[in-house]
Amino acid sequence: MSDVFHPRPNPIVAAMYTARDMNVDVIVMHGPAGCSFMASRPLENAGVRVVTSSMKDNDLIFGGGPQLEKTLMEAKKRFDPKTMAVIGTCACTIIGDDIKATIGRVDLGGTNCFAIDCHGCLDNNTEGAIRALKAGANAGIIPQDECDRQSALLKAATALEKNKGMAGRTYLRPAESPTKLSVCRRIIDTLSNGGKVAVVMIAKKELAYRFADIFEAVDTARKRLGGETFFVANLDPDKGLPRIRGYCTDILRDLQAKDVAIDRIIGGLDEYAVVGEEMHETVKGFSPDLTVVLGICHGYPGLDESCVLVTDQPRELSNYLEQGFTAVGEVGSHGLVMGAKGIITLETAQTLRELI
Amino acid sequence: MRRIAIYGKGGIGKSTTSSNISDALAESGLKVMQIGCDPKADSTSMLTGGRITTVLDTMRDKSDRTLEDMVHEGSNGVLCVECGGPRPGTGCAGRGIIAAFQELDRLDAMDVYRPDVIIYDVLGDVVCGGFAMPIRNGYARDVFVVTSGERMSLYAANNIATAVNDFRQDGYARFGGLIQNSRGIENEDSLISEAAKDIGTDVVFRLPRSPTVQACEDRDTTVISGAPDSDMAGLYRQLAQTIYSRSEDISGGLRLDYAGCNGCE
Repeated sequence: MSDVFHPRPNPIVAAMYTARDMNVDVIVMHGPAGCSFMASRPLENAGVRVVTSSMKDNDLIFGGGPQLEKTLMEAKKRFDPKTMAVIGTCACTIIGDDIKATIGRVDLGGTNCFAIDCHGCLDNNTEGAIRALKAGANAGIIPQDECDRQSALLKAATALEKNKGMAGRTYLRPAESPTKLSVCRRIIDTLSNGGKVAVVMIAKKELAYRFADIFEAVDTARKRLGGETFFVANLDPDKGLPRIRGYCTDILRDLQAKDVAIDRIIGGLDEYAVVGEEMHETVKGFSPDLTVVLGICHGYPGLDESCVLVTDQPRELSNYLEQGFTAVGEVGSHGLVMGAKGIITLETAQTLRELI
Repeated sequence: MRRIAIYGKGGIGKSTTSSNISDALAESGLKVMQIGCDPKADSTSMLTGGRITTVLDTMRDKSDRTLEDMVHEGSNGVLCVECGGPRPGTGCAGRGIIAAFQELDRLDAMDVYRPDVIIYDVLGDVVCGGFAMPIRNGYARDVFVVTSGERMSLYAANNIATAVNDFRQDGYARFGGLIQNSRGIENEDSLISEAAKDIGTDVVFRLPRSPTVQACEDRDTTVISGAPDSDMAGLYRQLAQTIYSRSEDISGGLRLDYAGCNGCE
């Protein structure tokens, strides 16, 4: 068991995000109103309907089945979704509600409705994602081999977080980001002196919409100031679930429209935990004077003083700063990228544009 | 107010024993409330002559509920309450017990009825936090276990004693002893005495096996009210006085704030 002490997402929230990645139309939370509320709102912005069975004390005592039946019928009537996932919570799981049997009792017509057996005390949040994938594969909304591939990636992500990320630390205080000024000056100085700048985006899913903005800014800087650049990103549009592939397509289209090319695409947006090694090997060949790493920076091996780290997580930022790295936080990015269809401006990129 | 919990393995005669204790104490002029903590809701049927509306059913079905909906008068004026619970195999009966107690507290049941004695009749073994509620959270002060000489019954008695002792540091309940409800098995007295010694307690009373008990139960009445002049009624009166004198009188509401842990190490 991990003994992480600072607040983190739990398996329920991971299951919700995975349901979104599988393009589920409606998510039904079977539990008390308010459970995963903060996660529900951004998912709604991303176009997923999230509803709750609003369990009360009486449902805990007498069983939540009838309340879930009512919720399913209401969701069917209101949204008539193609796919609907019912996600378990602590409350309904502890009292042993049988979600699958309840779904079977309700006439949902052509809606493909399936249960994700999940609760908040499964330790690793990726366990919720894996359970969601298995349930999705059983329900026929994703292929089995994609489920297997994703499950392996999630296990790699768990190991990465435990070894190098926030899950490896009992408590991290959220850090406030330094301004982006000194980081941008380092990029400018390197290029102005004819140096080499590598930009490595190792992004987790939708956050790529924001981090990818750096490429255009650095590309413009190179055109004006000189020097050399080398761009690497995990933007393979042929990897992962359809929704995630779509993110890559959107971003590559936007970059192409601005005449920006990624020199090496390595891996898909769900492969952030396993592409670091190959990215590092590739970048070494370029022998950069400065490397800007964005996203899950600790997934990139060989971070040192020649690197600048850009993260969206205030606690991850704290993790990096405590280790002595130069790092800035693009805090609040997650709220901005939910539901995005194209690149969203990044503060670091904007600062760089202003300086050149 | 005395706060007494009667535990024991299912089917061992907890409700019969509890109801006769309640009835005998009420007969002697005390105000007694018996709270059945079993989803079957049949703890008080010998006192009321049938079924009463449970606290949990009332909570589910009636938003403008009052204490009168869930507290029913039985023989000799015993105040009868059944927590009730879900259909077998659904929901959470343990959560139900907790919620029912909180509901009685919310409606100030103690201020309204001011009982001298509360008897909690609790389902079987201590299976989860909900069924440990009477001994955990300041509801019961003195815990007695009804047992026969049968192995499973003694096993349950041992489990309950363990739970009470585990929670002892919290300063609420204390183990009062075993009540022998004889089944007529060989060497029953010595088997139970032996078990009591192992637990570190004693046998506070031995009830013999008697056809009068079954006859009264069949008529939905206690022995105290249904066969008041029988030998068995006399024994139940003695048992009631024993339990009463061995339990502690502490003022306050449904829940003890902190009773203190006499003899805790």
